[in-house]
Amino acid sequence: MSTDTEQPSETVSPAVEEKLKSIQRARRRRWIFAGGALGILLFAFNYALTMVGFSIHELFYYAPFFAEALDEYFPRTTYFGFLPFIDFMQYVDFIVEQNLFHEAGITLAIGFGGTILGFPLALLFAVLGSGRVTPFPFNFLFRGMMSSIRAIPALVWALIYVPLGGVSPFTATLAVATDTVGNLGRLFTDELEEIEDGPIEAIRTTGAGRIQVIVFGMLSQVYTPFIAWTLYIFEINIRIAVTLGIIGGGGIGLILNTQQRLFAYTEMMATILVILLLIITVEIISQRTRSYIREGDEAMGIVELLKGFPKRMAESLAK
Amino acid sequence: MSSIEVNNLSKRFGETQALDDVSFTIPDGEFVVVLGTSGSGKSTLLRCMNGLTQPTSGEIVINGTEITQPHPDTAMIFQQHNIIGQMSAYSNALTGSLKRTGLLSSILKRNDTEDKYRALEALETVGLLDEAQQSARRMSGGQQQRVGIARALVQEPETLLADEPVASLDPGSAQQVMEYLLTATEEHGLTTAISLHQVNLAQEFGQRFIGLKHGELVFDGYKDEFDLDVIERIYEDVNIDQLTGLGAHREDESDSDSGATGATGVADV
Repeated sequence: MSTDTEQPSETVSPAVEEKLKSIQRARRRRWIFAGGALGILLFAFNYALTMVGFSIHELFYYAPFFAEALDEYFPRTTYFGFLPFIDFMQYVDFIVEQNLFHEAGITLAIGFGGTILGFPLALLFAVLGSGRVTPFPFNFLFRGMMSSIRAIPALVWALIYVPLGGVSPFTATLAVATDTVGNLGRLFTDELEEIEDGPIEAIRTTGAGRIQVIVFGMLSQVYTPFIAWTLYIFEINIRIAVTLGIIGGGGIGLILNTQQRLFAYTEMMATILVILLLIITVEIISQRTRSYIREGDEAMGIVELLKGFPKRMAESLAK
Repeated sequence: MSSIEVNNLSKRFGETQALDDVSFTIPDGEFVVVLGTSGSGKSTLLRCMNGLTQPTSGEIVINGTEITQPHPDTAMIFQQHNIIGQMSAYSNALTGSLKRTGLLSSILKRNDTEDKYRALEALETVGLLDEAQQSARRMSGGQQQRVGIARALVQEPETLLADEPVASLDPGSAQQVMEYLLTATEEHGLTTAISLHQVNLAQEFGQRFIGLKHGELVFDGYKDEFDLDVIERIYEDVNIDQLTGLGAHREDESDSDSGATGATGVADV
């Protein structure tokens, strides 16, 4: 390594010695800091538990009541005269009686409609919030608007829209749309920050107009991630639509709320199963579409898409 | 057709003097090669010429218009291609016609039929007609560069600027691309300025030469004046033997494709 003939391992230069000491000092400081941080964390955790009245004692006290409810959540019957198992027929009866799939459809419509309604504004705000389009201090006007929208949860937006006709599927859709502008817009802005300058310059040199530069130079670079993010927000919006239903926004969430008020646990569980089915279906379709878009290179024909579906489905479940 | 006037052009980036009082005039229809080492100011000069970079002082006048921003009649070919990977080769070429197409029509791809033909013809010119519908990001570097050239051709410019268009290409593709550029210049009556790293290609294709060193203009002349002394002045420490060796090698090659004779003159020196 070195051309020195003296043993370099034993005759260490003062500079090296000094460096080692400074590293050791820094390490000591880090340990003291980590210890302090852990102490603060534990104190805050304890404080938080006291604040919410967390009590192991209460947990044990109410455990039998919960166990009783479990019997109703999962009603049992005997199959073939000897095999005890969950009585699915009770669920099915309720699902059919209340037409829960129709209610799930309303929830789906709230999420879907809200996503589509929010999309154009999210796109507009994201583009205007980009430093490349709007000069520095002014683009923060649009980012600020998106931040304010995000600061208010969708649930609260639904309450804000109450004067528009109470909490209904219609106002729930508006609330989802508003929430979408804030969240999807944020994802779009982030995506736009990372695009390359080269293609934008290239489009500028073609003599394109200002908006053409935005469309062809900027948006064309983020076309696929934008679709993927929109699908992701759609998934989240379905979940939001369920919770909005619980406060009266209609759909499957409303049924859940009603049954809870009646302490009809079996019916509640039936509703939850339908919610589970709805969300998982939407997620699988959305995720498959997203990964299909991202991989995008080998364009799959529609026939191939359908034919290969069971196999890809099994693969994605196995992941 | 266009004439380019560069008057006392200087550009500073903080401490770096990228261009220092550069002046020259290019008349209509010339095929100009800009030479210089990395960091000599070639790219800055071309970027100033198409208005992507603002000079610190001095001006550039193309056809009587002072250039302060990209001009619709000046097309640019970039070293890093700068084509849009998410779009097909055809769509990329078609963006060259944006200046003639309204916003809505351009988004809906309802460009003039003439422009659509132009885009396909340009792709044919660069030998990519069969790959027109391929997604651009799946193409090789050479193919992407040719898509960039097609885009510039569709623009129907009067001035064509190219910043090291062959720097990332293999020798064969580089040769081809240079041939496309020369043909386009002659057929469409363009005024073209190209920065190059490869002295042999410069010798073969260049008609007029601009040499830059540390941001200063060290040579401005035509083919007959462009000799080894000039190359040495521009590149300083260059190994001339190696360069002429390349030239001689190129001569062998050009016999077989009955190509240019530009390299011969220098190889003989």
